[in-house]
Amino acid sequence: MDPRELRYAESHEWVFEKDGIATVGITDFAAARLGDIVFLELVSVGSKVKQFEKLGELESVKAVAVIFSPLSGEVVAVNEALKEEPDLVRKDPFGESWLVKLTADDVSELNNLMSFQEYQEFISRQEG
Amino acid sequence: MQKDLITMKRTPLYQEHIKLAANMIEFCGWEMPLNYASGIFQEHLATRKFGGLFDLSHMGRLLISGEDALPFLQYVLTNNVEALEPGQAQYTIISNESGGAVDDAYLYRINHQQYMLVVNAANTEKDWQWLQERKERFRAVVLEDRTAAIAMLALQGPRSKAVLETVLGGDGLRLPGPTRNTITTVEIFGTKVPIARTGYTGEPIGFELFPPAEIAVPLWNTLLEIGAREGVVAVGLGARDTLRLEANLPLYGHELGNDGEGKEIPLFSGRLAGNCISFARNKGYYIGREALANQFEEVKLRLQGLLDKPKADQLVPRMIMPVAVLGDGVARAGCEVYLNGALVGRVTSGTVVPFWRVEGKGVASKPGAQSGKRAICLAYLDADLKEGQELLISVRDRQLPAMVVSRHLGSEAAPYARPILVEDQDKAVASGARKTLEGLAHSLVRKTLDNARWRQRATINLIPSEQTPSPLVRLLSISDPAGRYAEHRIVKALGEVETYYYQGTRFIAEVEEELAEQMRDFLGCSQVETRPISGQMANTAVFSGLLEYLNRVDRTAEPRRFRSVMNHFIGMGGHLSSQPMGALRDYVAISPLTGRPAVVNFPWSLDNPWQIDLDRTAQLIAEHKPELIILGKSAVLHREPVSEIALMIAGMRPRPTLMYDTAHVFGLLGPYFQQPLEEGADIITASTHKTFFGTQRGIIASNMSKGTDAFELWEAIVRRIFPGSVSNHHLGTLLGLLMATYEMNAFKDEYQRQVIANAKAFALALKECGFRVEGDPGIDFTETHQVILRFDYAKGIEVAHRLEANNIVVNYQAIPGDETFTASSGVRMGVQEMTRFGMTEPDFQELAGYMADIVLAGRDCPETISRFRSRFTEMKYCLSEEQATPLIEALLAHF
Repeated sequence: MDPRELRYAESHEWVFEKDGIATVGITDFAAARLGDIVFLELVSVGSKVKQFEKLGELESVKAVAVIFSPLSGEVVAVNEALKEEPDLVRKDPFGESWLVKLTADDVSELNNLMSFQEYQEFISRQEG
Repeated sequence: MQKDLITMKRTPLYQEHIKLAANMIEFCGWEMPLNYASGIFQEHLATRKFGGLFDLSHMGRLLISGEDALPFLQYVLTNNVEALEPGQAQYTIISNESGGAVDDAYLYRINHQQYMLVVNAANTEKDWQWLQERKERFRAVVLEDRTAAIAMLALQGPRSKAVLETVLGGDGLRLPGPTRNTITTVEIFGTKVPIARTGYTGEPIGFELFPPAEIAVPLWNTLLEIGAREGVVAVGLGARDTLRLEANLPLYGHELGNDGEGKEIPLFSGRLAGNCISFARNKGYYIGREALANQFEEVKLRLQGLLDKPKADQLVPRMIMPVAVLGDGVARAGCEVYLNGALVGRVTSGTVVPFWRVEGKGVASKPGAQSGKRAICLAYLDADLKEGQELLISVRDRQLPAMVVSRHLGSEAAPYARPILVEDQDKAVASGARKTLEGLAHSLVRKTLDNARWRQRATINLIPSEQTPSPLVRLLSISDPAGRYAEHRIVKALGEVETYYYQGTRFIAEVEEELAEQMRDFLGCSQVETRPISGQMANTAVFSGLLEYLNRVDRTAEPRRFRSVMNHFIGMGGHLSSQPMGALRDYVAISPLTGRPAVVNFPWSLDNPWQIDLDRTAQLIAEHKPELIILGKSAVLHREPVSEIALMIAGMRPRPTLMYDTAHVFGLLGPYFQQPLEEGADIITASTHKTFFGTQRGIIASNMSKGTDAFELWEAIVRRIFPGSVSNHHLGTLLGLLMATYEMNAFKDEYQRQVIANAKAFALALKECGFRVEGDPGIDFTETHQVILRFDYAKGIEVAHRLEANNIVVNYQAIPGDETFTASSGVRMGVQEMTRFGMTEPDFQELAGYMADIVLAGRDCPETISRFRSRFTEMKYCLSEEQATPLIEALLAHF
């Protein structure tokens, strides 16, 4: 996935929407900051979530991070490979290590999210 | 993330962390590396398999000196500072009046004048204030905060010693240890650097270094560069925390200080309390003593099952326990723990840690190629919970199953710390298919024959503590008096004769008398006791008899133990049986000064660790006034300095008893080796089956003749054998021993000369072949039957297994510098058994060549060794086969 084509939440999730199906993951910035990821818990397939509601939890050695859904919709797939090896999230956050796919109820919600450029500025402010 | 860079402190190694792309965080006001590029897990794993280098310069380092340093430290710390000799360190607590922790700390006694206290970074300022305020009542205490001037690095893990040895130019004996909690000052880059055997990772091998801040950067880079060749990596605070958690080590703010509910955690809730809180007499009053003594009383009552106070009134209602998470998830500090729906405590520290799956079995096991992860924690739980108790931990909206375990990590088998997994803790026993008695007998006999053929015909046996007795001796040992009883003692009222309790003992009485006569002849002494059935039993009886003698003045009083004993350190070849962990345990007092068994080890000479340093021995004897001095070793290359020590103690009142456990060298006693009783030993003990000709028994001998003051002591020792130790003294092997002693007395001269000549020839040939032979080249490395080889660190085990696969049987041996037997770098061999099978100097030279092929050139040749052995199968230094055969046949006919 090309990071420049994604939309971003302030809580460091990305989303890629195509034909009404939204793929969700966390950003490389967030993954690097979490460190070794040891546990991942995601809502199950069929769950309905609202935008910015809890989608699951990631735990690293040092911290627990809540994952929020960047869009509203129904979960149609979760990345099973990550259940076995949650640390894969860090390896390829924009590709193999997506977290869930959901049906996008309302694509206009994408306007509540940041563009790549905006997200870059957002994290550089955070770092500074 | 907090970014208040202006006020954050930096260690001298800050720039190095940046160069290593560390993930820097704020920690207690310091800007520190949480982890480096490879991440917390990789750093944790690298430390366990190879080693980790830590910057700990953020921790507080306080120096304490001045005339009143000792009373001041005794007042503010819980451990007994007087137990610290210069060069030692101890874990300790800065306690408050209520028996809780102001902080936990490590105290190092760098030299006679100076102590260093290392405290937590989080508490340095608080501790400083606390100590300043309490220093006022002492006249002459100098307290200095040297945190900025002295850096602190830790190098922990299996390869840490090798790395430091390289830095020191190959001289590993300059390092502290091999025991933990030791500290020495070495020179690095022309600067004095204290190095301690301490750490916070659970690694059995680990060092902490205290260089001046100016050389912190070059030292860090040197350690990292040399370490990189061994797999050592830089490790940040993240893995420091996972390593300490896995090792069940407390962290202030979690397991010490306040619990999650704002209540203070009493110190006796912690596992280490028993080791770091002293109530010794010389400790005197200290802050919190009374509260701690009350906690201790309650803990003791609980252990005895006598505590009946309601929970609410208990001083130590909860204990810190290691808990393994069994379900899928992670328990964190603060999570509540439930049993049957009731809250029983909280997690104090918890996360997921990685571990190496262990490959191989027993001493050959080590971290394998596969790693795993597990969620573990420490929890502050109801003190009545026991190991194995299953619990539920509440993690947000889920209940995780968990179990109280004994520990998460095993650190006692250096060089590796091994994970202890829940799956290992409860193994089912496999039940074999039942066989008939006849089937079982056939299988057992077949296996016995296989083993006998291998050990007697196909292998070269070089275990220095073993011997094959002659065929006649072996057969006599299982002939009739075997299986019988012959208890006897001298009854004075009956005219001082040996009085037997049973009938049918005429023959064995004769045998026993004759054996004593033959043994007195062998040793040239007046007293022997032949009934102990092992050397260790002989030692126990001597310890017990000597105490009975010392306590004789008032038999109505509680008998006391030895106030002080001098012996050989086990890591320097000392016998197990003269250690507090062995036969000495119940006989030596706990020193009121140190709280440890009152044992002083012989100092060894720095240019030859296999020999006693006599000057320092004299000083130690004068200082400690041991009541018992025990010579004799199980890794032994030299004569013991019996006459020198006898001279040192000759004028002492009361004079210590000088005992020599001659176990290994008993068969060598005589003009070619040494004659301890003539040289001034009061008493010798031995086993009769190492260099002597078998059977497997023990013996005690002395010149404490009737009519001398010492005879009373001898009588006490004899009483501690019977009725004190044996009622059945194994009559068969007693008979066998008589035959063996006949053989020894007939062949003593040529056998003893040949054993020592063979050992020297073997040592020289091994050296020639390129082996590192331990000992003094000036005496051809050995004066005994033993030859000891040194290999790379902890490689002795591998070499011993490799030789066994090639039909050469030796034993791996911890040698000076090794922490414990699982880290053995040496191989110990004895030539006595193969000498009996007729090997002479050229044969041992040939054997050295084969060993070089196998070990140094890596060529396997088990068949060559078996063929070589087949040349030496007839027992020498006894009756010839021709002479013995009719006797053997006659014995077998009456079986």
